[in-house]
Amino acid sequence: MRDFTQTRRSTLKMLAAGTGILAAPSIIRPAMAQSKVVNITTYDKFVPQSFIDQFQKDTGIEVRIRLTDDQGKQYNLLAAEGNAPSTDIVTVTGHRLSQFITSNLLAPLDTGRIGNWNKLAPAYAGAPQLSIDGKTYGVPLLAGFEGLVRNTEYTKASDSWDIMFDEQYKELTSYIVSDFLSITMKYQGTDGDYVTYEGKDAEALAATNKARDYLIKNKPQVRKYYDAGSEVQQMFVNEDIYVAQAWSGPAAKLIMDGHPIELSIPKEGTYGFLYSFNVVNNAPNADAAYKFLDAMLSSPEIGAAMSRQSGFASAFAGVDTVLNDKERAAMTLPDEQLQRIQFFSSKNRKMKNDMIDKASAEVKAG
Amino acid sequence: MMVDSSMTETAKVSPRAGPSYAGWIGKLVASPLYAATIGLIANSHKTRLVLLLAIPLVWIVTLHIGPIYQMARISIMDNYPPAPGGPVYTLDNYRLFFQEPLYFMPFLRSIIFAVCVTATTLIVVYPVAYYVAKVVKPENRTRALLLLLTPFWAGELIRTFSVIMFLANRGAVNVFLREIGLIDRPIILLYNYFSLSFGVIYLISLFMLLPLYSAIEKIPSSLVDAAADLGAGPWQRFRRVILPLSKDGIISGCSLVYLTSIGVFAAPLLLGGPNSTIFPEIIASLFHGSSDKWPEGAAFSILMLAVSLSTVGLFMRVVGGRTVKLM
Repeated sequence: MRDFTQTRRSTLKMLAAGTGILAAPSIIRPAMAQSKVVNITTYDKFVPQSFIDQFQKDTGIEVRIRLTDDQGKQYNLLAAEGNAPSTDIVTVTGHRLSQFITSNLLAPLDTGRIGNWNKLAPAYAGAPQLSIDGKTYGVPLLAGFEGLVRNTEYTKASDSWDIMFDEQYKELTSYIVSDFLSITMKYQGTDGDYVTYEGKDAEALAATNKARDYLIKNKPQVRKYYDAGSEVQQMFVNEDIYVAQAWSGPAAKLIMDGHPIELSIPKEGTYGFLYSFNVVNNAPNADAAYKFLDAMLSSPEIGAAMSRQSGFASAFAGVDTVLNDKERAAMTLPDEQLQRIQFFSSKNRKMKNDMIDKASAEVKAG
Repeated sequence: MMVDSSMTETAKVSPRAGPSYAGWIGKLVASPLYAATIGLIANSHKTRLVLLLAIPLVWIVTLHIGPIYQMARISIMDNYPPAPGGPVYTLDNYRLFFQEPLYFMPFLRSIIFAVCVTATTLIVVYPVAYYVAKVVKPENRTRALLLLLTPFWAGELIRTFSVIMFLANRGAVNVFLREIGLIDRPIILLYNYFSLSFGVIYLISLFMLLPLYSAIEKIPSSLVDAAADLGAGPWQRFRRVILPLSKDGIISGCSLVYLTSIGVFAAPLLLGGPNSTIFPEIIASLFHGSSDKWPEGAAFSILMLAVSLSTVGLFMRVVGGRTVKLM
């Protein structure tokens, strides 16, 4: 082994390397705050790559996508960054907006800076789910609901959530525990959105525990508790499950891809949600963020591409005319079923989050 | 560190005597401050030692101890991020674990799971390590070892998904069994303890293989031959000679596998079923949940760390206390 001979030059190199390592955090943070960059936290397949490429080419602004699969994760990470966020745009569902706003994580939207604002479908521009105290907080993107999904080759048609608890499908069902707790409450005739439980803790707890106990009792039916849409898609493709509660987007995507899947809204009803892009409070690249939002609304083709990729219905005007018949069919349900959707409210969220989180952990551990 | 006199002499040469540089580097090199600094570094053994140790120390403190310290700090806060006015410190987050039976079952399940996985990995991997270290010809050993390590060149997630593709209802095993007419309906192999253990053992067997190989390879064949000459049968030779002499490898391998499997997160999430929820998943759900529960998650993480390290410490003390010395 050769002896290490220390020279002036090697000492200097060592010092430079050490300084570089120590200085790294202060170099990385300003790099995120370059005006030619926009950092977006969103779900997989929400922003089409073709649009990102075109936007980068037209504006010279680099788009950096960070994926999330859960509103809670996104909230916690953003909250942990406090006044120095490293992301500019986040993807928040309408009913979670109040939680983000209460924590001072989102900036009200200056719609005057979005020239294409009028290209939103009239039903969604300034949707009540995205407005608080007269201020708009998000650009609506995609609308979805919690659906009943089944493999049509191995299951019988059903207009009820009963099928999720049918002995015939033992170890062949799957759901997101926290979402399905709300649906089970609805199925049992209680309020899974907790709007009517404001100030009625005991009543809310009794309803939550009733749903929790029912899910624990029916645990043998479950093959797996999942978290992300891609997981339930994979389980259906591998035929590991025949029936599931799933977001409409991933289910519609399976239908579009030709799998023998049916998406429906049972007679007991379900919950709906609206995804929006929101500018973060103290966003390091707010200008670039507004340019991105404006460009995104410029053409219904972009909205159609988002719908095709995610399976969710677009909030942009004119998208219906761009989608083909098969795509429209996968994303559309009969009016009778659509009327069963109750959009999640933004009221009484803390009680709901606390009770659902605890009950979810109990179902998993039970 | 030894510093010979010639090196010291070289270091004492004035920086101005070296090659000349243009621009700001030249000005810097010519400055008296530079000469004084370089002189101090080059002439003082103590300064050089401090500088040499500073980088690894900063690395360990900031990247290894730092995150755990921060986790421990958050674990005693009532809220994170702290409310305006600063954090309030409390032990309630730790108390929650002992008060709420809900969390105890997955915690116990994690420990039992890690112990079972460690024991199974040892039983599965030991013969493989022995085969490579003692049966394979010395010139082919590196090749055999590389062959065994090939799957580990792929990332953890890729290997986890490959297990899913292998065990799913339409995966390789079920398709094969259906093709040869052994089954009509797929056997449920995925999303249960079987798939979870299979996946975790596959993911972490490397941590057992390498220490075992290293320990077994060092056992002199002459000792095994001598035992055979003295009438010891295969089982006796294994129990009385090979096993005690490979104890160091067993202890290292078991410690690594136990510590990795008790904290494994992605594999249980992707391969586990509704009845195999383990403690890291509960911790993750506290960090990912709708409400702000980072302090509870941090407290549970610290508890898990403490229990993992103390069980390994106990294991090393009990089993490793009587290590056999070759020389």
